[in-house]
Amino acid sequence: MSVPAETIAAVATAQGRGGVGIVRISGPLASVAAQAFSERELKPRYAHYGPFYGENREVLDEGIALYFPGPNSFTGEDVLELQGHGGPIVLDMLLQRCIQLGCRLARPGEFSERAFLNDKLDLAQAEAIADLIEASSAQAARNALRSLQGAFSQRVHNLTEQLIGLRIYVEAAIDFPEEEIDFLADGHVLGMLDKVREELSTVQREAGQGALLRDGMNVVIAGRPNAGKSSLLNALAGREAAIVTEIAGTTRDVLREHIHIDGMPLHVVDTAGLRDTDDHVEKIGVQRALKAIGEADRVLLVVDATAPEADDPFALWPEFLEQRPDPAKVTLIRNKADLSGENIALEVSEDGHVTISLSAKSTDGLDLLREHLKACMGYEQTSESSFSARRRHLEALQQASKALEHGRAQLTLAGAGELLAEDLRQAQHSLGEITGAFSSDDLLGRIFSSFCIGK
Amino acid sequence: MNFPSRFAVIVIGGGHAGTEAALASARMGVKTLLLTHNVETLGQMSCNPAIGGIGKSHLVKEIDALGGAMAMATDKGGIQFRVLNGRKGPAVRATRAQADRILYKAAIREILENQPNLWIFQQAADDLIVEQDQVRGVVTQMGLRFMADAVVLTTGTFLGGLIHIGMQNYSGGRAGDPPSIALAHRLRELPLRVGRLKTGTPPRIDGRSVDFSVMTEQPGDTPIPVMSFMGNKEQHPAQVSCWITHTNARTHEIIASNLDRSPMYSGVIEGIGPRYCPSIEDKIHRFADKESHQVFIEPEGLTTHELYPNGISTSLPFDVQIQIVQSIRGMENAHIVRPGYAIEYDYFDPRDLKYSLETKVIGGLFFAGQINGTTGYEEAGAQGLLAGANAALLAQGKESWCPRRDEAYIGVLVDDLITLGTQEPYRMFTSRAEYRLILREDNADMRLTEKGRELGLVDDARWAAFCTKRESIAQEEQRLKSTWVRPGTEQGDAIAAKFGTPLTHEYNLLNLLTRPEIDYVGLIEVTGQGAEDPLVAEQVEIKTKYAGYIDRQQDEIARLRASENTKLPVDIDYTTISGLSKEIQSKLGATRPETLGQASRIPGVTPAAISLLMIHLKKRGAGRTLEQNA
Repeated sequence: MSVPAETIAAVATAQGRGGVGIVRISGPLASVAAQAFSERELKPRYAHYGPFYGENREVLDEGIALYFPGPNSFTGEDVLELQGHGGPIVLDMLLQRCIQLGCRLARPGEFSERAFLNDKLDLAQAEAIADLIEASSAQAARNALRSLQGAFSQRVHNLTEQLIGLRIYVEAAIDFPEEEIDFLADGHVLGMLDKVREELSTVQREAGQGALLRDGMNVVIAGRPNAGKSSLLNALAGREAAIVTEIAGTTRDVLREHIHIDGMPLHVVDTAGLRDTDDHVEKIGVQRALKAIGEADRVLLVVDATAPEADDPFALWPEFLEQRPDPAKVTLIRNKADLSGENIALEVSEDGHVTISLSAKSTDGLDLLREHLKACMGYEQTSESSFSARRRHLEALQQASKALEHGRAQLTLAGAGELLAEDLRQAQHSLGEITGAFSSDDLLGRIFSSFCIGK
Repeated sequence: MNFPSRFAVIVIGGGHAGTEAALASARMGVKTLLLTHNVETLGQMSCNPAIGGIGKSHLVKEIDALGGAMAMATDKGGIQFRVLNGRKGPAVRATRAQADRILYKAAIREILENQPNLWIFQQAADDLIVEQDQVRGVVTQMGLRFMADAVVLTTGTFLGGLIHIGMQNYSGGRAGDPPSIALAHRLRELPLRVGRLKTGTPPRIDGRSVDFSVMTEQPGDTPIPVMSFMGNKEQHPAQVSCWITHTNARTHEIIASNLDRSPMYSGVIEGIGPRYCPSIEDKIHRFADKESHQVFIEPEGLTTHELYPNGISTSLPFDVQIQIVQSIRGMENAHIVRPGYAIEYDYFDPRDLKYSLETKVIGGLFFAGQINGTTGYEEAGAQGLLAGANAALLAQGKESWCPRRDEAYIGVLVDDLITLGTQEPYRMFTSRAEYRLILREDNADMRLTEKGRELGLVDDARWAAFCTKRESIAQEEQRLKSTWVRPGTEQGDAIAAKFGTPLTHEYNLLNLLTRPEIDYVGLIEVTGQGAEDPLVAEQVEIKTKYAGYIDRQQDEIARLRASENTKLPVDIDYTTISGLSKEIQSKLGATRPETLGQASRIPGVTPAAISLLMIHLKKRGAGRTLEQNA
């Protein structure tokens, strides 16, 4: 085998939501991944139905796992195929797990490339693959350029600039100890490092928001029994997805619905009403509801506008607060505005909390909610503060962040400037996967133009 | 006439590259001739009288690990030794020595004259004998023809050398030496890309006219460092101090008002100087807001009063030089012994070289040192050793050798040069090495001596010392790994008390040593019986402390290994490879990389382009090579 022994992974099916989604893994780690995902020995070339496990044995998805030991596989290497459900979030979780296991994301055309290099495709097909690699990389370059002209690139470029600024100081202190510039000893470097870390975490947050825009936001509808949560779900979905009755506690389990608002994907989760109950089934429903709240990107807390508790809903629900949803992620929905007689309106309090008065039954005010959800996803700010980050970008930011964390510990705990330097190099290498390479000679150039160096 | 006997390897030039080249070739048992225009200047330090420093000492110790002369000569000629970055981590520590020019030169001369298989001959080389793109020998000034299988050119600044002092200039190889004009003309006829570089030196000062009492003394370190793995401090001659003084507003004023008389700023000099070793006029011009610059006053030797004021290299006219020097504190009455000057010289684009430092177009012709666009004794010596060894390997009909980037700074140096070329005199820095934590000065022997032995570069004494050290390190690591400490025992409590970390369960000593707060010496104080040799203890400690980082770097190296091992044929026509952009085709064509790994380091060559190259290789039936190397 001629290709470097790296294991690559990618989603093999078309982008978007399909019935079936396939993640393909090729390389020496494929067997390790097979074991990790299925927790059993897979018989070569047999279809095994079962759960795909995550890092902590949680079930990421269910489907068919197929293991092809090399050379009898598409690429000629060990190959694992996971055929699961087609949702982008599920596929993304599977990919993330692959990366955790030591795989890297495949470049466009890389599976075919390996197949060719391992004699799995004949020479006649070589030209076609070359064209494919060229075309896909050109396409990727165009895509990247498009994305890079936007906000994301600007932010990552700024971040990289800051990091380079920091590296200049660290490397200069190491390579020119006889100059009067020992930045490692004074607090200068640490201050700069913390600034870069802060900026990086901002970019990470915003990039995460971009991913939300692409892959969909998780919206959980929560509240007391009979506040009208299921009615709200039905109103948003535009169909009778949930059973609605006047009996409190009708919804006993978590109900999921995928909807689109102006083409933007939303995963809406209806939950059992939060209350103390002796009913065993309902109790489990409440627990699940609380769990869903904890995982939500956005919580719609629904109150009955005609009920007395509507005045201070948060104080009344200790169970809700125990889940500690970020208050900024909660929107208060005053339902049944048709009955309370209040105006259909969206109000923003001084501390930024949003309250919407609406009627799920008459659908008055539902447009306000839809606009609000779009705003939450960053719909209006796409060109300014949030970006269409790909999994690859998020991964790179994560790596960079880890390296900076590590380097900081080396500097503060052990005073090890050369190890900090190594971590900074790693961090920049990670960012470089988004923005392109930066050589050591470029770095030296910056040092020489920043400081007067040399005897 | 033809010289009566034939040589396997001829080295032209007796500087730091030439001497290491000749010695390496001869050590490998190959009949070698060192051809120099002046035997008296063998091993001459033409610039500042110091060896080592950050990045550079790493090269010196690698030369030493491969049996070279530079470190040993430094131990015999060094009159002030310091460890730079002593308080930073071991990977970036660097030994630096001031050297007595006469003692250093004498030490090199002694090693040369006692080297079996090595002949020295004094005569300037004027021409190369080349037949069918293959070098056959050398013709000297008086028409003497020497025949050989390989020729190593180490011409330093002598090729087309032009010396500038103010607006005046004249031909010269170095102050006081003639340039190599005939050879330069001859080489310019070869199909090699050529350019001009520039370097400079400061005026030298008579120490009797200097007031040291107003300067800051900079003594050497205690305990006194040693450069060679085979050296010891008893070899060092008497030790002296350096001194630090500063330029001031008056100095800067003099320079600023005379910039129009600088050959640099008036456009007379076309060669590009080094950014990290700027002339004083450059510093003042580019960093106008800096009020003062350090000047290191370095003694030139024990038997001379001459001083080297490091930091005020200049090509301004002599009358301005006098004013500059006398404006500096402590040098108000200083007498200049030799004027400062700038020198321009020819260099050849190192992208025309292979990893072996053999030129791609003329078989058997090797280049090393400043001719390749580098600066510095250490960079020159490292290339010399490599070129000499490869010339000998060629003469022996064996395959060439070059360490990889993860094995040695020599590997970084050569890979940078032949992949990227250079636009200024290239100097080594630790930041050029991505595997800095592995490429340390302390482990140069562990990285290279075994290979050196295999090549025939390392003698029995060095090999025996190396084996003993390596064995002791392994033993001590084993001992630490198999010595266990339990919480609650006397030792466990003693460790907890000494380092402030209570033991939560049983640990072996190697585990404990990985903790940042625990050091080897402290650990041995508590547990007893450590390694006797401090160098062994040092290796064990550094390896343990860096283990996590080194593992990560090793993973990275392993990932890249296959593409480093995949050779690209020399006759590849990049314009015919489908899918490659015009720009990438021309970049690959300009460098003609030897391996896929080297190709991937050319700026602008994308991963997609590398994929296309792999497919192209496979198509032209090079698949077998790929498989063998994977």
